[in-house]
Parts: sequence; C-alpha cells; structure tokens
Amino acid sequence: MEPPRIRITVTVNGEPYQEDVAATRSLLDFLRNDLGLTGTKEGCGEGECGACSVILDGRLVDACLIFAAEADGRRVETVEGLADGEALHPLQGAFATAGAAQCGYCTPGMLMAGKALLDRNPSPTHEEVAHGIAGNLCRCTGYGTIIQAVMEAAKES
Amino acid sequence: MRVVGQELPRVEILEKVTGQSVFGADVLPGDRVLAGKMVLSPHPHARITAIRTERAERLPGVKAVVTAADLPDVRYGRFVRDEAYFATTKARYAGDRIAAVAAVDEETAEEAARLIEVDYEVLPSVTSGLEAMAPDAPLLHEDYADYWSQPDLDRRGNICGHKQIVRGDVARGFAEADRIFEHRFHVPMVHQTYIEPHTATARFDASGKATVWASTQAQFPLRAAIAQVLRMPMTKVRVIPTEIGGGFGGKLSPTVEPAAVALARKARLPVRIVMSRSEDFQTTNPRHPFHLRYKTGIKHDGTITAREIEVVLGTGFSAGSGVMISQGAAVRAPGPYRIPNLKIDSYCVYTNTSTCGAYRGPAGPQLAFASESQMDIIARELGIDPVEMRLRNAMVDGDETPAGAPLEDVHAKETLLKAAEAMNAVPKPPGENVGRGMAMAHWLVGGMASSAGVKLNEDGTVAILTGLVDLSGASTSLAQIAAEVLGVSLADVHVRTADTDFAPHSTLSAGSQALKSMGGAVLLAAREAKRQIQQVAADKLEADPGDLELDGNNVFVKGSPERSVTLREVGQMALEHERGPIVSTQSVSRLTPHPAMAAHAAEVEVDPETGHVRIHRYVAAQDVGTAVNPLSVRGQIEGGVMQGLGQALSEACTFTDGKMDNPNLLDYKIFSALDAPPVEVHLIQHPCASGPLGAKGVGEPPIIPPPAVMANAVFDAVGVRIHDLPITPEKIVKALKAKRPA
Repeated sequence: MEPPRIRITVTVNGEPYQEDVAATRSLLDFLRNDLGLTGTKEGCGEGECGACSVILDGRLVDACLIFAAEADGRRVETVEGLADGEALHPLQGAFATAGAAQCGYCTPGMLMAGKALLDRNPSPTHEEVAHGIAGNLCRCTGYGTIIQAVMEAAKES
Repeated sequence: MRVVGQELPRVEILEKVTGQSVFGADVLPGDRVLAGKMVLSPHPHARITAIRTERAERLPGVKAVVTAADLPDVRYGRFVRDEAYFATTKARYAGDRIAAVAAVDEETAEEAARLIEVDYEVLPSVTSGLEAMAPDAPLLHEDYADYWSQPDLDRRGNICGHKQIVRGDVARGFAEADRIFEHRFHVPMVHQTYIEPHTATARFDASGKATVWASTQAQFPLRAAIAQVLRMPMTKVRVIPTEIGGGFGGKLSPTVEPAAVALARKARLPVRIVMSRSEDFQTTNPRHPFHLRYKTGIKHDGTITAREIEVVLGTGFSAGSGVMISQGAAVRAPGPYRIPNLKIDSYCVYTNTSTCGAYRGPAGPQLAFASESQMDIIARELGIDPVEMRLRNAMVDGDETPAGAPLEDVHAKETLLKAAEAMNAVPKPPGENVGRGMAMAHWLVGGMASSAGVKLNEDGTVAILTGLVDLSGASTSLAQIAAEVLGVSLADVHVRTADTDFAPHSTLSAGSQALKSMGGAVLLAAREAKRQIQQVAADKLEADPGDLELDGNNVFVKGSPERSVTLREVGQMALEHERGPIVSTQSVSRLTPHPAMAAHAAEVEVDPETGHVRIHRYVAAQDVGTAVNPLSVRGQIEGGVMQGLGQALSEACTFTDGKMDNPNLLDYKIFSALDAPPVEVHLIQHPCASGPLGAKGVGEPPIIPPPAVMANAVFDAVGVRIHDLPITPEKIVKALKAKRPA
C-alpha cells in the first residue's frame, strides 16, 4: 500500500522548498533523491555511523533517522551549504590542509558535526571536539587530523 | 627535491570538502534508476530443493528477477574454480546469493525479495577453520576433486590449499636450543568496515554494452569478472570506478556488480544495488580468522635457533584469495627475523562463512599477534630486554625470506630503535596497572603490471592519465612525481583516473604497491615526456637537449638560465615541430619486492575492576623510503594504527549457529573519536632502490603490530596474557580473577 503523501515546506541551505513527500520518506532520501543534494552520505541507515549528519534547526541529527515530514517548517543545513560561493568555510579549508579527509565519505557528516559544535562552542578543547564528533565514524584517518582541523577552524572563525 | 617530500593537500580535496565527489551511490542522480535487492540464504549450509520466483515477479513495480537460471553455468576462482555467482543446489553460508530483484523503488524491491520462496534442507555447518579440518566435519564442496585448480595445490576435504616451507633443519634447531616455547593463538574474523557500503549501478545500451559504476579498488579485474560471470565479451563491459568511500582490501572482488548487470539487462533499465550495512558485514570479504601454533627454540642469549609454525586460515565458502594469502602467510610467519631453521605449514580451509579477502595487510596482524606476543613472553622468561632480543634476531640487508628471496633496503633495527627511543623519551608514570609493550612487523611490497600516460598541454600544464583507483592519496603522489620530473608545481598537474575503456591498464589499489607500480610507470612516462620537451626546446634554444634543465615551468640551458623557453611555448611549438605533441605512455611489470618495516610501542593503563584499557601513548615508527607526501604517509599510518587497535581491543565478527551475531555498527565496535589515542608517527626515510624516487609502500605495515602491542602492554600492566583476540575488558577481568588466589 502506498504511504500517504504530505506537503512540506523546508528551508535547505537557505533555499525554501515546497514538496510532496511520502510519509515514510527519510530526510536523507529527501535530500539525496528529491533535491539531488548527494553530498550527504548514507553509511548504515541505522543512525550508527553519522555519515548522514545534517543540522536541523541548529541541532546535529542523523538524516537517516528523521522523516522528511518532520523537517516541515524547519531549517536544514548540509555540506553543500557550507561554502559561501567560492569561499570555503574555515572548517573546509582546515580539513583540506590538515589531511582530515582521506576517502572523503565521512567528511560531509564530519564537517556538519564540526559546524554544529563550533556554532554552540566557538573554542572547544580537544576533548570537547572528540565528543562533538563521537557519533561520526571514520575508518581512514584515526581522527587525529579531524580533531586538529576542527580546532584550527575554531581559531580562524 | 622540490615537490616530492612536500606535505601537500590532495588534488581532489576541494570536491571532498564540498560534497561534490561522486561516490558509488551518487551516480545517475537525475535518471530513473531501479532499486536492486539481493536475496540471500538465511542458512549457513543447506541443500536448495526449489526456488519459486512467480509471486515476486507478479508484484506490481517489479521489473526483473534473476537467479542462477538467468546466468550461464560458470564456476570461477583464481586458484580453485569453486564459486558460482548464484547458489544452485546448495547454499554454503548465511548470505549466499540465491536471487536478485529490481523494482521501481526500494520498498517494492524488498517486498519482492521476501516473496521469493526457497525450499531448503538444512545441513550441519562449520565456521571454525580448525574444526573444518576434522575428518568428520561437514564437507562444503563434495565435488571438490572435480574442480579445476591451479597445479600443485594440496587439496583434501575442506582443505583447499596447503603451503609448507622448510628451511634448514628444525629438529636440529630445537636440539641446539636452550629453551623451547610453544603457544597457541586465535584471531577471529574482522571486517574492513569502510564507511561506504558496497554498491553498483549498471546500465545496458542498445548495442548490448554494459556500463557499470562501481565502488571498487580493482576496476580491470572487476571488468574481467563481470564478463566471466555473464559470459560476455570483455569489450561489452565498461567499468567506471567512482570515488571510493574506503576499501581496505574489501572492494577487490565482485559482489553486487554482476547482479546489477544481470538485472539491468533483463529490466532494460538502469539498476542500482546498495548493500545494507548488515549485508555488507555478512556477504563481503573480511579478514581471515586464524588459528596459530608457534614453537620457538632459543639460546640463553636470546638467539632464535628454530621456529615451527602452523597456521590454519578459515577462508569461507570459497577459496577466493585465501590460497594466495595462506601462501603469503607462510612466507611472513616467522616475522622480520633471521631464523636458520624453519618449518611452516599454512592451511587454507573452507568454512560456512562469506569468502574472506585481502583486508589491509592480509595475514599480517594475525601472524604478528602470535609471533610478537611470543617474542615478549620469551624475553620476559629469559630476562632479556624485549628490544634487545628483537635486535639480536632482526633481519638485515642480504637476508632472505623463508621462500629464499633476498632482501635489500631492510631497516628493521633502525625502525625498532626509533620506536623504543620515542617511547622511552618520556618516563613511565608511577602507579600500578600502567604498562608498556611493543611489537614489530614487516610487509613485503611487490609490484604489478601498470601503465600510465603523461602529456604536456599547449598551455604548459601537465596531465596524467591512469586507471588507478585513488584509495589513499595515490593520485596526489603520482602528480608530485610528475611535477618533480617536469619542473612544475603540483597545481600545474592534473590527474585523471579513467575507466576500463580508456585508461591504460593499471594495477589494483592494494598491497601497498599502488604507488610503487603506478609511480614507476608515471616516473618513466614523465622522464620520456621530459626527453621530448628537451628535444623540442633544443631547437629553439640552439642547445644540446642533454644540456637543458626543467624548473619553474621553464626549460633552460644548464648554467645559462637566461637562455630559456617556457613550457607553454614548448607545448605550442611541439604541435608545429616534426616530433609532434608531447605525450608518453609507459609500463612497468614484475618489480623487485622490498620489505617495509613497522615498529610500534604503547603505554596503557588497565582498570583491574572493569578491564578497560586506556591508551596513554602510542608510538609508530615506519620505514617508508622517500615519503613522497608526508601528509599522506602520516595519515595512512595514523589510520592504520586505529584499525589495528580496533582489532586488538574490540572488533570481531562472531557467529552463533553459523550466523553472524553482530552485523551492525553498534555491536561490531570500531574505534570512535573517543576511543582514539593520539599517535606519534616517526618516519624512517632512506630512499629505496626498488621504489619510484625511493618511495616504499606504506599502507599495510601500520595495521599489523597493534594487536601484539596491546597484548604485550596489557601483560606489562596487569600480568595477564590474552592469546585470543580481541583483548576485551571481559577477558582481562576473567584472566585477573583466575590469577588471584581464591
């Protein structure tokens, strides 16, 4: 049986969208498949890896665990909205120079976790950064360069 | 050198930090792509008596269902042809492929997969390699004797390969020893757990050509495998490798790709299959579980006289690369030591699990856990400093592998001493339950057939054409090598990984040899392009080509920098010159293997009440030759250490009644940022004669020592020896309780 469809109004990276979505559509599938914003990744679909991290009304969430309908009337930030035109966000620049992205698959989620942290705590300690990205798994870097990059970005912003 | 040796950001980093990189599931975003879903056996071992697909096919929205009946009757396997893509008469592990479906959306595909009815007669199963060797064990392949295999494979029952190496005379070696030590160790299966699951998207065009976008480390072997499974001419299969979200040896063998092609052919629409995390854990190619027995004879002064080693590797339901890995295990089992008398038996054994594969440093961590734990046990028993004992036995230049290959550029002692020195630079803090441990390991880096093209554009920039999937920064390092030779900056070099239709044949990204092989090809091609540039510029500068140097985007006469021409001018002149455009494609093959050493040390604190291990410090020294990009090299080492620590302390695929207990990221525990200690990396840099501009392979060595390092450090801290990975809090507490007087 087809799930009912719901009309939602959502702001993604500052752009307003009005879309009809299936009630069971996840925010992740909505972003990737309906809006074509494939920067946000799926790693497990169960809220355990953090690859799909986005910021919803200022809070870091796993987009795979949220229904698109829950985003109705709210603001979503994804990796595609981080840079200001050609100008990278300090986190993006710091990730590049620190070698904090290797395969790059966890990177969009990591960047959003870093942003959510810096938005509420502009000068975090090493330990606070580790807690801030604890829900985001990376299998390439060993996390050291990622923590370093977030701390560098904190200094710059 | 100007560009080689610089810590430069990756050439593709902007795409990665802006979300623009195209990974496996990101292709054809706007197109109508069907959702594919695999139907897998729930039983570890069962006879299949019927497969009924009618109900699934009738479900609205279903566009194709494929089973073995849709594929040619092909058995494949590089060492033993023991694998069919879909199971026909028997399922051999919980996850064996039965069928695949394609439907308009994921929900419909999942529903269709549930509607496929399979009748099974469940058979007894075995997931332990040791148990599978027993005479009364369930036989996975009753017809094994009829299978084609490579010659000289010793196959019996569930044993699909046995490698024996004998050097010297172990009986005499043990007779010469003052003490003999014998221990058994067990290492369970662990999974690569790349964050991007396996995925493939396939499309058929009107000419019958399949285009497959895949997250793969091995695009050329994948093309051959798809062609083989579907019995298509290879020219009718085009594999386009996407950006890869981690591989670690887990994306070398075909998984969902042939099914995606078969579905796309039948549905006449593009099909995408994305594995769920659970499917990825259960149906891909994890690290082989090992049972190990090490018997070592030793003099009072710490000189090893003999080692007798038995390794049993559970390969899963097909031989896969297990035969090769068990043979490699035999060669590396004694560790980086010169041991005159050796007897090594390495068995590759069928088990009812997924086929294990070449997880980063295949066989390395298992062997080092056993070998280096035992070295620590022996040093303590003999009262010799563990560093001193390793130094006494360490390999040096001119020593041979157990297989008889001579080794050069061995820096075992220096690497070991560096790790020890770095650890000892800070005194151990006072307090109980704090301990230190170390281990060393080696990896042998070969080389595989590779080719690459280098051209000079009319604007003076350089382009590199490869077929190498960039797994760990290789593209950046290749660009640095070309930039070095041609006297340009990294920004002037563009690297493109082309697909199987257009790329020059390139090696797979595995075994720490990607840079050695491809770097070798790029170096030759860049040098040939340089020769052509010199030839064109020589006419203009009225000089001998051999007197021309390249630097700063200019070509100039040695000693007279004012007599120069820009590379841009050369690029344009070449089009009018008799020699034509400047381009070269070069190849390498069969490169001399070199050893790469790693020595690690750690300080831990163990909570005796909870068994929790806290890592205070972790030191990794590695012999890397010329570090082409130290940022990449350090990144590889830090990441490898963290994977190795996961295997040491928390990771294991466990099975109950033949089914994996923990196929999810909550129960299969890889390190998070909260678990990760800082890693102090020390690079030992001596240019290696057999590597491009002196580079050695770096990816595998760092994952090898951590389990042994942790075992030795935990013993030093609380006096309990764990012989069975992972070293969990439960095992530590249990061992401590057993040790305490009642």
